Amino acid sequence: MTFFTIVVRSLVRRPVRTGLTLVGISIGIAAVVALVGMAWGYEKSIVRQLDVIGIDVVVSNMSGGLMPKVFDESLEEKIAPLPKVAATTSVLMQMLSIEDAPMMMISGREWGGFTWDKISVIEGRLPHNATERAVVIGRLAAEVLKKKPGDTVQIEADELPVVGIIDGQAVVENGAIILSLNVLQEITLNEGKVNFVDIRVTPGTTKQEVTALCDSIKEIFPEGRAMVASEVVGTSQGFRVARAMSWSTSLLAIIVGVLGVMNTMLMTVFERTHEIGILLAVGWKRRRIMLMVLLESALLGLLGGVLGVALGALGLKILETTPAIRGLLEPDLSPRLLLISIAIAVVVGVISGLYPGWRSSRLSPSLALHG
Amino acid sequence: MIAPPTSQTGDIVFEARQLAKEFDGGQVAALRGVDFQIREHEFVAIVGPSGCGKSTLLQMLGSLDHPTSGSLTYRGASIPGMPDPSAYRAHHIGFVFQAFHLLPTFNVVENVQIPMFEGGLSRTQRRERAVDLLKSVGLDHRLGHFPSQLSGGERQRVAIARSLANRPSVLLADEPTGNLDSENAVHVMELILKLHRELGMTLILVTHDPSIAAQASRTIRMKDGRVVPADSPHP
Repeated sequence: MTFFTIVVRSLVRRPVRTGLTLVGISIGIAAVVALVGMAWGYEKSIVRQLDVIGIDVVVSNMSGGLMPKVFDESLEEKIAPLPKVAATTSVLMQMLSIEDAPMMMISGREWGGFTWDKISVIEGRLPHNATERAVVIGRLAAEVLKKKPGDTVQIEADELPVVGIIDGQAVVENGAIILSLNVLQEITLNEGKVNFVDIRVTPGTTKQEVTALCDSIKEIFPEGRAMVASEVVGTSQGFRVARAMSWSTSLLAIIVGVLGVMNTMLMTVFERTHEIGILLAVGWKRRRIMLMVLLESALLGLLGGVLGVALGALGLKILETTPAIRGLLEPDLSPRLLLISIAIAVVVGVISGLYPGWRSSRLSPSLALHG
Repeated sequence: MIAPPTSQTGDIVFEARQLAKEFDGGQVAALRGVDFQIREHEFVAIVGPSGCGKSTLLQMLGSLDHPTSGSLTYRGASIPGMPDPSAYRAHHIGFVFQAFHLLPTFNVVENVQIPMFEGGLSRTQRRERAVDLLKSVGLDHRLGHFPSQLSGGERQRVAIARSLANRPSVLLADEPTGNLDSENAVHVMELILKLHRELGMTLILVTHDPSIAAQASRTIRMKDGRVVPADSPHP
């Protein structure tokens, strides 16, 4: 028999209570995995999209809701001549409810711009020109909307024909509806307006030169910002809000978990007063008693964490298939997130066991023996 | 007043001077100025009516409780002033209780190993010693049984084996036969006396039973929290 045997035996002998506590922790950890996994997944999807398209710098307005506020498309002409700019293209991006899908990305792209380059047509064709009132749909969006070439799709008040299904090599691209910038401007009553200018820099441009370019753009467009593509996610207000929300909701779940484990461990200590009295009487040190309680709660945390990670991963897989999420993001189930979640669960266990452990170690052996 | 021991040989193991213990802020006085000495290898029976302070005294000898005033020493060192009372309990004292106080979720051999976690023994050494101890109390055929599967006499024998886990020099027994039928009581007492003789331990035993007290080398009689002066030696 080892010390760990004693710790495990204490948990196993009350299976219902241990089980219920595990359920409590695992739900909290599952919430962490699901919420943070979605936030991280969304960030990764965007980063991948920018990478696939080959965007080096993104220019947008500072303010806005889900999408940055629109600005005049003439900005692109002012940016194009700046040093180290190889290509520019304007985009109007909107998040709209499309038919049965509560939220879908609609991307209006300047006809002939480099944002069309990496799109490969799976079925059908691309629009013929900048003025053709037609859309192509990413393959995930096509599955969600159940559309194929020849069908129509309702965007705002307009019904547009679907001319092709495309593969954009990134989940955000594949979950989007793409059409010519001019058509989307007209449909959404945003004539002459865009909310992004995407920039490719000349090959061999250094980091310092890109930073200098961003500074130059800032001078031309003081109310906007120019970000290096890799920093879009880190600096975007929207992403920061999403990240804060996911962590703060997770924190609530974690606090509930802490209270659950603490309650269990306190009850365990109260119930085991007599047993702790025996252990003290036979010479166990107070710190060993405390260690026993802490290890029990840490073990509860670890088991709850593993269970929670499994539940969270399952939840994310299910969420991924729902129409609301499908195509919008690819949940992040990286080993890093899973390890962080389990570590959080163990820390929750240890923190929850501190007070019960301290209480148990303070018991008077003679009173505990009679308790 | 210090009650003189019958045998003047052997070092003084315990010495109490004006030992007092009060509960409930002084409303209840369990011990009222107790004095005694107990020497090495003695078998001392502490007798007296219920509530006279016998068990309280035993708990203080085992550092399970602290006196309100007076002094109590173990081999010259103050018991209440010990920096690490758990080490004292683990290495110098073995306890046997009337209610056995075994851990119900651990089997016999595991119960005996419990005190050994403070003894610095390996897992194998702990198990081997526990098996040896259970052999010595005649329970080596019950190693895997749980306390609920044992008779009262067997439980007390497990408790005795556990009390010897770290080879203490003192055995404190609080009414060890109080929960047993007469036949088991005789067997348990025979075992305790055998261990006392063979291991040379100092044995301090609290009892109501005059026949058990009669087997002690010396009796401390208590009444109303005090030692009754007429100490009666036994041959």
